[in-house]
Amino acid sequence: MDDFPMDKIQISGATLASLLHRSSSAAGDIHGYLFGHATLSTPNPLSDHPTTTTTASLLIATITSFLSLPSHLPLPPPPPSTNSTALLGWFSSRRKTPLRPSLKDSTTTISLSKTQSLAFTPQNTNLSLPPSLFLLVTTPFQDQLIHTHEYKGFQYMGHAFEPKSLIIVNIGPSFRSQYDSFSPSVQFPLMDCELRGSNAMMEDETGDKKMSRLKDQKQLDNCAEGFEIDRVSKLMGSEAIYTGELEDLYDKMLAKIDGLSRLVEQTNAKVLEQLEDVTILGMLVLLCAIRSLEMNGNRRPSLNVH
Amino acid sequence: MAIDTVPPLVAAQIKYLLSHCPFSVKVEQMWSGCKNPSLLDRFTLVIPYCLDYIKWDVIYNAMYPLAAPDIIFGPEDESFQPYYDGTEKSCKNSLADWNSRDPARLLSLIIELRNAYMAYQRKRIGEVDDDRLKFEISTMLPREGIEMYMSSGTDKSEEVKFAVPLLDMDLNKLVAGSMWSHPQKIYLQIVFPVGKKYSTAPPTRLKLISSPELKALFSIEEFRLPPWLDGMCTAEYLPILEEMLGSQIKDAVASIETRRKFIMALAPLFGRPIEADPVFCRRATFLASSAVFNFLVHFSLPLQFPKQKAAIILQSSQHFNPQGVPVKSPNLTEYPWSPRWDPSEMADRLFDFLAEESLNFKKYCNQLVQQ
Repeated sequence: MDDFPMDKIQISGATLASLLHRSSSAAGDIHGYLFGHATLSTPNPLSDHPTTTTTASLLIATITSFLSLPSHLPLPPPPPSTNSTALLGWFSSRRKTPLRPSLKDSTTTISLSKTQSLAFTPQNTNLSLPPSLFLLVTTPFQDQLIHTHEYKGFQYMGHAFEPKSLIIVNIGPSFRSQYDSFSPSVQFPLMDCELRGSNAMMEDETGDKKMSRLKDQKQLDNCAEGFEIDRVSKLMGSEAIYTGELEDLYDKMLAKIDGLSRLVEQTNAKVLEQLEDVTILGMLVLLCAIRSLEMNGNRRPSLNVH
Repeated sequence: MAIDTVPPLVAAQIKYLLSHCPFSVKVEQMWSGCKNPSLLDRFTLVIPYCLDYIKWDVIYNAMYPLAAPDIIFGPEDESFQPYYDGTEKSCKNSLADWNSRDPARLLSLIIELRNAYMAYQRKRIGEVDDDRLKFEISTMLPREGIEMYMSSGTDKSEEVKFAVPLLDMDLNKLVAGSMWSHPQKIYLQIVFPVGKKYSTAPPTRLKLISSPELKALFSIEEFRLPPWLDGMCTAEYLPILEEMLGSQIKDAVASIETRRKFIMALAPLFGRPIEADPVFCRRATFLASSAVFNFLVHFSLPLQFPKQKAAIILQSSQHFNPQGVPVKSPNLTEYPWSPRWDPSEMADRLFDFLAEESLNFKKYCNQLVQQ
């Protein structure tokens, strides 16, 4: 694992607000994990000034989400990190305490940053960073102050807490650069794929209603054959499984469209056939009518005018 | 009105800590950290260390008093990480298997952490690149119980403080009948500057400090420190100091006996004292009368008795000032005295002096009341 200093820690205004709200609404103290991603970015030295030619790359960590629980409960084993979301570190929120890491904060941070399996790789790098971020949230001792919370970000590096400034990312022109570089990669939600379980509602229904419902369901199932919803869950996983599954779905869809078009063709032919039948029938009717007219013509109706 | 309460489990731990701690800890303030502000679950502990105090905030959780407490150390000690010694697995500690129902747990945690703090300071000072300090530490090390502290403020220059316990004897046992609750000790505070070139200059500060209750027996302020000779180191200085201090303490203990004999010699003349200090024999009060005038005689005996004479104050039992306070005489020191007299002669002469002085005092009292 590398001890690489983070240059910036970013957090979106919404995430921070949600974290502060969670802290203030909790009965006691809380703590939890911080998730997000880290990127090694090389700032574009597009400047008129000739002296600004230093292109040092910056390691920027962005906190996008968190998980919180009362601090008397131990932190659960952290979830495995994915490409888009990594475990960056953790936070501790407690009321009316000095804004300094406590004994528990330091032991937890040390243990997190020493766990080899939790290391993640920032984008554009081949570094391996431990989850060394620590965010401390407290409330001021005096109640009369204007602000309700105080916070400080740290990176645990070389056996010490390095204070890092926390940059809050909001919407607005001054944050355009953040949104320009925004990549819409979102972790697929963990879906509970249990559908149509034993439904208590269904048991109350009467027999024939149940029958008709079953019939509807059967029809629906026919339509959705091969596209069951639990297949969606198979889309999560390694890239190979994902591609295979998607190709399979695509093939099925093509087959289905093929079948449908064939069906349409057949019905079209049938309609045409029927149309032909109809014209023949019409012609026959016409013939019959003419013939009957002719027969009546012999006995032309006398238009007697009295 | 809400009454501030400490969760019973936490209160039991604090009570045990305050009554059983070998050093005198204090709870400075208590406050609440939960939504209900009347539940107090946080407090600042003031812990004596190296003749100074360190303040640690103990953070309990009133919502879940079964949970182990958390500690926030002082702002200067952010690098103090007691349960991390550089190895992957940290050793077992008091917090690992916390049992909130055992009231002794907080005490053992604080003692464990204070010991860890002592080791931490020693390690820090050991890492300082200063030859003088390294030499002093290596020569002082055989002594037990030395505490050291390095101040690391940004504004002040760095210095290292040592607190060296002196006299390897139990002072509590020297005085029969003393009611001292904590072990009495005398320390030498030595302060060395850090980062100066190797020098043999004396330390920037040398000071004797004793536990406060020892003042009744021996006055540290009146002890003159032996001079720090040129080129001396602490290990050479300490034996000289201890020898002087030891003999003076012996004198101080002997002087208790002299004072006791003096008070006993007063008894045949003044009657039994109505109040006297039986342990250190520093004060005694007698009831005296001159004709119908009744008054109290307060004797305060200095530590250097009989070299210094006793201070005498007379207090009338019959005259009161407008505030209802008994009239007292000023401190009487102008009376015949010689430290070479034996106690009975001292008492005789004093009795004669007071027989005359009582008339003056009566006049003084009458004047004061008539005004």
